[in-house]
Amino acid sequence: MSIDFKQSYFTLFGLPQQYVVDEGQLAVAFRELQATHHPDRFAAGSDEDRRVAQQVTSFINTAQETLQSPRLRARYLLSLAGVSFDDERDTTSDMMFLMSQMERREQLEQVPNASDPFDAIDVISKEVKTDYRDLQEAFVAAYDSGDLEEAKQVVLKLKFFERLLGEIKQLEEKLEDDI
Amino acid sequence: MALLQISEPGMSTAPHEHRLAVGIDLGTTNSLVASVRSGEASTLADENGEHLLPSVVRYLENGEVVVGKEAQAALATDLQNTIASAKRFLGRRVEELKTLAGQLPYNFAETESSVPHIQTHGGAITAIEVSSEILKTLKERAEKTLGGDLKGVVITVPAYFDDAQRQATKDAARLAGLNVYRLLNEPTAAAVAYGLDQQADADNKIIAIYDLGGGTFDVSLLRLNKGVFEVLSTGGDSALGGDDFDHVVAEWLLSESQQSESRDEYLLRAAMLEGRRVKEALSDTTEVSASLGDWSGTFTVEQFNTLIEPLVKKTLMACRRSVRDAEIEKEDIVDVVMVGGSTRVPYVRQRVGEFFDKPPLVNIDPDKVVAIGAGIQADLLAGNKPDSDILLLDVIPLSLGLETYGGLVEKVIARNTTIPITRAQEFTTFKDSQTAMTIHVLQGERETVEANRSLAKFALKGIPPMVAGAARIKVTFQVDADGLLSVFAEEESTAVKTSVEVKPSYGLSDDEIESMIRASMENAKEDVEQRRLRENQVDADRSLEALDSAMASDADTLLSDAEKQALLSARGELVAAKSSDDADTVKAAIKQLEKTAEFYVARRMDSNIQRAMSGHNITEFES
Repeated sequence: MSIDFKQSYFTLFGLPQQYVVDEGQLAVAFRELQATHHPDRFAAGSDEDRRVAQQVTSFINTAQETLQSPRLRARYLLSLAGVSFDDERDTTSDMMFLMSQMERREQLEQVPNASDPFDAIDVISKEVKTDYRDLQEAFVAAYDSGDLEEAKQVVLKLKFFERLLGEIKQLEEKLEDDI
Repeated sequence: MALLQISEPGMSTAPHEHRLAVGIDLGTTNSLVASVRSGEASTLADENGEHLLPSVVRYLENGEVVVGKEAQAALATDLQNTIASAKRFLGRRVEELKTLAGQLPYNFAETESSVPHIQTHGGAITAIEVSSEILKTLKERAEKTLGGDLKGVVITVPAYFDDAQRQATKDAARLAGLNVYRLLNEPTAAAVAYGLDQQADADNKIIAIYDLGGGTFDVSLLRLNKGVFEVLSTGGDSALGGDDFDHVVAEWLLSESQQSESRDEYLLRAAMLEGRRVKEALSDTTEVSASLGDWSGTFTVEQFNTLIEPLVKKTLMACRRSVRDAEIEKEDIVDVVMVGGSTRVPYVRQRVGEFFDKPPLVNIDPDKVVAIGAGIQADLLAGNKPDSDILLLDVIPLSLGLETYGGLVEKVIARNTTIPITRAQEFTTFKDSQTAMTIHVLQGERETVEANRSLAKFALKGIPPMVAGAARIKVTFQVDADGLLSVFAEEESTAVKTSVEVKPSYGLSDDEIESMIRASMENAKEDVEQRRLRENQVDADRSLEALDSAMASDADTLLSDAEKQALLSARGELVAAKSSDDADTVKAAIKQLEKTAEFYVARRMDSNIQRAMSGHNITEFES
């Protein structure tokens, strides 16, 4: 049993096409779709059934991952609006932004030398998460007002934040493992 | 002997639709098989009522293969031909074995293959073949108990098993003649058994499964939601388990007995076995006496705990990482379930309880829970429960990536991504008119090629010559519900589909598997012959016994000397034939003895009837 692979992820889950997503609704819709299409439902079935199930659930899983991630969701909305992304070439030229990112990185490097590293990283983590949320709001503002160029710029900045959050996570792990 | 299928009201399965399916826990130390019968999942026992099958295989000189307890008994004596813990080298290369815990007493054959071959009486054997013998034994047990052919099986694997280890498991199943519905992650299987046991009509309940087996460690965090088991994250170590506990104790024993330098394989094996015994004893007491050769002493639980602390700490580090990956707090976890024999160690329970801030659940049988979960899943996948709500959503445990410039790895699919999943990455050429490209697929979390596991190398040929950077090569990764990876590549800017040649960096080729299957079919013929020989030998013994007891009671009264001689001569022939290797020879000798003794049998009958009848009148026997 196949589905329409051309439909948008929002349509797939029965969600309105907008940045704000009801996580609970997404989760319920996701489970219901999986219950119908998961390959386990066709384990004793034909080769074709199994192959189709694999494709359909891959699509469902990708859709869910996209809508769950703040950055991927924003990027997806823009791609639906016809904005293209070139991962190799796209980057932000906002110097202020790049400098603040560098400062954050330097702060992280100092954490192991702090008198209370856990406290230090906690402070940085909270600040970064606040900035991250602010940036998401900036995206909504740009997108809603139709300024897709600006919206794209915000998405590129979101990628920096994603990486930064990843580095914070790794540093937290390292600090904990070293105890 | 088919068991009756008794349906519970409201759970009817049309008997003729019921497909025989089992779940198999192929463990490092013990293996089990379970099935759903009359609506309930339970493990299947052998003729002696034993549910656990020790994962030990012994190759005898006469070509016979022994699996289980009988093989285990020879661990201390027949070092080279008795293989234990083969799961530890499923999917591993020869170079990787050197870092495995403990000295392996096996004789590794020098081959071209990256797959380790162990020299035994049965030839050069791989871990895949050893595992297939275990699977065959369980298959026979299941088909005998359930009274029919198996339609399919679910085999469990550690959640942290990588692609090579999973593929090797599937190869072993293929060799054993099993149709695999699904490779199921062990913690997920345990969660299913737990979920159903707890009658959890759970709504968004998060649980942790801490699975410490003989050779592998897994930790999985799952969200349970009305029959949907969603894995949030999984972590572990596929080379950490109870065997390593045995090993640290063995090292302590060798050091205490001043024999640390010894390379005597029998001594090392004895130390491991004593280490295991001592470890198990300390689950119930605080001090045991230990001995090794001439040395003996006492060993306390404190000493044991100190020795295993670094290993236990490693498991907790993996737990911490998984909690973080799941993006939850430890407090969100409602239950921590202990799975695997090694969770019987009190210190492990204590530290796990400390880490999660709650006492772990230990009431579910840690040895059987994985097999039972697999049995439930097998029943589902066979189609026996079309109305079931149970759904397992699992994840890939390790990131998948591609080699890029400078020996670095770029991740294409991140760990803990829900499977099945398909993802594509685009590449381009970096030289003008470049017509070929090597694509190297790797698995792991590290940044460099050397630090990750090489899965496959691609030669993508026939790229139309273009300016550098113009070609668009799309490499598609497809991970199925078993966690197995397939890779496809094509050049997009032209309509031309280029050719792809995937060379797995590890594993047995299809040809190698085919020849193994053929060899095992020949062995199967030999197995049949062995059985026939044994049966005829038993018959021969019976005939000899019968003859001996008859002659003891009336040879002197009923037989002449010449007749006695004839019988004894035929008897001698049978005794000689019995020790031959040939079933037909034995059978012929039995027939010969029976023929020779025919007259004696008749004479005995006559004399018995006469004795019975003496003093009676024939009319008395008329009814």
